[in-house]
Amino acid sequence: MEAPLLPWYIAGPLLGLFVPVFIILSGKQLGISSSFRLLVAAVAGKRIEYFNYNYRNDLWQAYLVIGLILASVVHFQFLNVSAALSPAPYSEVNPLLFLFGGALIGFGSRYANGCTAGHCIMGNAQFSLASFVATIGFFLGGLTVSQFLIPLIF
Amino acid sequence: MKALLFITLGFLFASILIYAEAFHWQRIQEMFHFKSFHMFGLLFSAIGTAALGLLLIKRLNIKNVKGESIELKKKPMAFYSNFFGGLIFGAGWGISGACAAPLFILIGFNWKIGLIGVLGALLGAFLYGFVKPKLRH
Repeated sequence: MEAPLLPWYIAGPLLGLFVPVFIILSGKQLGISSSFRLLVAAVAGKRIEYFNYNYRNDLWQAYLVIGLILASVVHFQFLNVSAALSPAPYSEVNPLLFLFGGALIGFGSRYANGCTAGHCIMGNAQFSLASFVATIGFFLGGLTVSQFLIPLIF
Repeated sequence: MKALLFITLGFLFASILIYAEAFHWQRIQEMFHFKSFHMFGLLFSAIGTAALGLLLIKRLNIKNVKGESIELKKKPMAFYSNFFGGLIFGAGWGISGACAAPLFILIGFNWKIGLIGVLGALLGAFLYGFVKPKLRH
């Protein structure tokens, strides 16, 4: 695969810098997967205890997601960034498999109480033991699936 | 105003992930096969820079824009759920080549795949909420 559009030694520090900037500007700690809980709570209501909380206090998570989607539409649909990328085999991906992958991400991130943003970047930068353990889990799970399951499918 | 701030922050965060190609299936597979240093360099330098930034906030007692002193909360340690939730999340990361933010980023890249992924994540989160009382944490 060709060199990425932005090398890691520029993109990585930018991502890292984003963490304190986010805290200073917003007063919140970076996390993405908490938005899954919020979005389900907004739809599914209060019958399940986990979703029975005052999600209106956390609406910033939904705005963050709107920003993510907006950026992807602007870059891929208007600035045509995807032309510079290697084609991904998404078209070959079985939609059901992708749905299953998404479900594992939703279930796992909520069970682990964080994702790559909240645990791997934010949490590890705080030297949080929970985040270190979760990160080991992320990589063990990903390595196993990517090395042994993906070759069986493609 | 608050909405605009978070939309802008989300936009910036996604832009970095897009130009670093961290949302890209191929980059994630490369990473899990140790074929490229790109993702590792990205994550390690991000963690290092973030740690330095947080340290400076603490040492210099930097206030947020509202003038409040910043108190960082650590996620509570719960070995069982951190580890096994992490394993499940990692498996999803390997299968879909995207983690949480990239699932939303895929909507602009390939809207069908993106929406399927997000729908899956919401179903997964719903299922977690449903079985949470029965799970060990």
